[in-house]
Amino acid sequence: MRGSIFYDWPGSGCPSAVQFPPTENPLSTKPYDVVIIGAGVIGAALAYRLSQYQLRLLAIDRRYDVGEGTSKGSSAIIHTGFDAAAGTLESQLVTRAAGLWPDLAAKLKIPFRRCGAVLVAINEEQEAQLEKLRQKAVDNGVLDVELLSAAAVRQLVPAVNPAVRGGMSIPRESIIDPFSVSIAFSEVALTNGADLLLGAEVVDVQDSAGPIKQVMTTGGRSFATRLIVNAAGLGGSGIANQYGGKHFDLNPRRGQFIVFDEAPGSAPGKILLPIPTAQTKGVLVIPTIFGNLLAGPTAEDLPLGDDTACETTSDGLAMMLQGAANLMPGLAHYPRMGSFAGTRCACKQGSYIIRFNDGGPGLVTVSGIRSTGITSCPAVADYLVEGLARECNLQLVRAPDAVDHRPANAWPGWWKKPHRDPAQLKHRPDYARILCNCRDVSKGEITDALNSPLHPFTLDAIKRRTCALTGRCQGFDCALPVARMIASHTGIALDEITKNGPGSELAVHP
Amino acid sequence: MEAPQCFSVVIVGGGPAGIGVATALARSGERSILLIERNADVGGVPALYKKKPRGIKSFIQRARLKMMFGEEYASWLKAKLKEVPVTVWLESKVTSIHPEQKTLTVVGPERGCVLVQANAVVLACGAREHTLDELGWVTGARTGRIYQTKGLLDVLDRHGILPMRQPVVIGSHLNAYAVAAKLKAKGAQECVVLDTGLRPSCPWYGRWYFFLRGSRPRFIGGVKAARLTGQGTVARVDLDSGLSFSCDGVVVSSDLIPNSELAWLAGLTVDIPSRRPVVDDRRQLSAPGWFVAGNMAGGFQDADWCYRGGRRVAGEVSRFLRNRNED
Repeated sequence: MRGSIFYDWPGSGCPSAVQFPPTENPLSTKPYDVVIIGAGVIGAALAYRLSQYQLRLLAIDRRYDVGEGTSKGSSAIIHTGFDAAAGTLESQLVTRAAGLWPDLAAKLKIPFRRCGAVLVAINEEQEAQLEKLRQKAVDNGVLDVELLSAAAVRQLVPAVNPAVRGGMSIPRESIIDPFSVSIAFSEVALTNGADLLLGAEVVDVQDSAGPIKQVMTTGGRSFATRLIVNAAGLGGSGIANQYGGKHFDLNPRRGQFIVFDEAPGSAPGKILLPIPTAQTKGVLVIPTIFGNLLAGPTAEDLPLGDDTACETTSDGLAMMLQGAANLMPGLAHYPRMGSFAGTRCACKQGSYIIRFNDGGPGLVTVSGIRSTGITSCPAVADYLVEGLARECNLQLVRAPDAVDHRPANAWPGWWKKPHRDPAQLKHRPDYARILCNCRDVSKGEITDALNSPLHPFTLDAIKRRTCALTGRCQGFDCALPVARMIASHTGIALDEITKNGPGSELAVHP
Repeated sequence: MEAPQCFSVVIVGGGPAGIGVATALARSGERSILLIERNADVGGVPALYKKKPRGIKSFIQRARLKMMFGEEYASWLKAKLKEVPVTVWLESKVTSIHPEQKTLTVVGPERGCVLVQANAVVLACGAREHTLDELGWVTGARTGRIYQTKGLLDVLDRHGILPMRQPVVIGSHLNAYAVAAKLKAKGAQECVVLDTGLRPSCPWYGRWYFFLRGSRPRFIGGVKAARLTGQGTVARVDLDSGLSFSCDGVVVSSDLIPNSELAWLAGLTVDIPSRRPVVDDRRQLSAPGWFVAGNMAGGFQDADWCYRGGRRVAGEVSRFLRNRNED
């Protein structure tokens, strides 16, 4: 049976059909088998994997869409793990996941492209590093890397810095639609019966040593469960303290990116990587699955709870532009569309902290997933499922009717461009009513997104599903038309429509 | 896709410039004209400035040196268009152009996805405002309630919602001062207007006009960098000079960028990063028979200038069609 989705959002900014009622609890009062805290890429991937078994699942997230924390702003690269520190759990899981993605992306209808990457050396010193990097890749099991001459690099990437002295190709580096990852995992989990509660922050865990634990959330609600998996990203250390898990220190590591406009013809089809230094991996130039180019990221450690973690700075963006121009000089004066700052979940005690029975039986901590989470999440989920069965006695019985894919016809998806398909237009003329003029997103696609399984209704949630508002005008033409559609579809007043949850309303209250 | 529908002239965009081209061409005797407009009605940007009791008129119709509401000007344009035999397709978006074949792909709910062919094409796609990142001097949070002028007019004029009470306006062009006046008239506090120049870009008579109508925004010039902060919505703007302004909303009201992407993505010559299409002295793009009119060509003048400019482009189109027939 299909799971339930609710938003814990009192007030009039949420459609009543998915609003968690203020007094009663419409979700299960019987204990869940597993409550997953955090519906980012890790939590959502775990929900997806666990939903293949006969288990009662609940995923809770404090944001008002899935994947809206550290999962939201990334380089959207699926790594091969060629440059990981060999032998670590991170390297092991990244390498394993890299092999899972092509098949998984096809099953989940997540746009994915094996574009390949080129490491670019632009001086002698960097050129000397190439052989060492090749050896490291081979040590990490990435055997198809290949050293390139300057001419070969120029041939692969005509727009590259003419000073290039050599390079290395990493053919299996890939790009993905980062937003669809958490969404697809969550949609399938929901189809398989997992429940989802958004907009609820976990404030306490009670009876954490007992067989049935109580997860307490904002608004004085509690959910009973046998097991808890804490995949709360930057919220993870606070929640571990609530259940007495071993202490660890997290902090957001900010990564700023510049978004360049779509280029007619001249864009490099490949990810361009600089030669890393001891301090930093440097500034990458990355084609996105949406057709833009990204340049970034910075790596700035900020204290936990810093409100500016998702803000760009002029120094940061200037550095990114300089770094991008170093790889591809044409970018120095190329039209820019936007910028963003994402955060990585950095942990002082090391990356990939995965602890079973952490502070008590049935408590699992997953933290410090850094920037590689978008790549590793399916392998992390597998690792967790095995661990839950082995260490926490979770009984895994396959659910016979569980699905492991998203239906092809569930809703169009931004990449399908239904306005180009005359057969579709016959039934749905609203696919021909273009609302977002930069990306050619139609009214029909917005309607489909609003009707999609998680019933998204914030501007950002619609943006991540349809690509409306992400074009070169950044919403100049479509922001209000999209808001109007959300309003008429959900019954929310226009001035109560939010960008990403309570506190981001279109208008101040009179 | 079926065989293309053929017209002598196709005009992309039903704003002042497109209507200027269409009416002048029709008056010169051209009988096969298609005007394509992506919105539900023609009129373009002026139509967004709605007529309101005690509202502030902010459009000039030069012929009669008269101030009017944009909506009134748009009605005047529409009436002009009605008088002439021009085929108008509304809610139709040109998704791509093909200069070699002289065709355009048009998508709309009424006709689906169709191909249109023409002897001459005029692109009158208008312009949009810079985004914060295109301006380059505003960084920080990308929260809710950061409006561009068009969105602000939409909530303010069309829906009667005052979205902010303590606004900061980024940019100091005429439209920035018009926005400040509109917000003030609707009940917001006086705006703070920020820009990089030492003096406002809005000419003195524009500022004077709004000043006389009760709007006295505080102009802060010479800003090198501004940083927006806030959770959920924007709450403060900090300047490089150390000045800091609390606010509950920001309006980005900068100068314009041509909507030249149809031409750019089709491989016609467009200057980057200004995005101005490169034209010859006959307003022709880098492919013969493709013309540009109005603000899409750059220059960024008012609606009446675009309308009259469109009429001049119509003359060039007529000349092109005559020469073509003689060949």
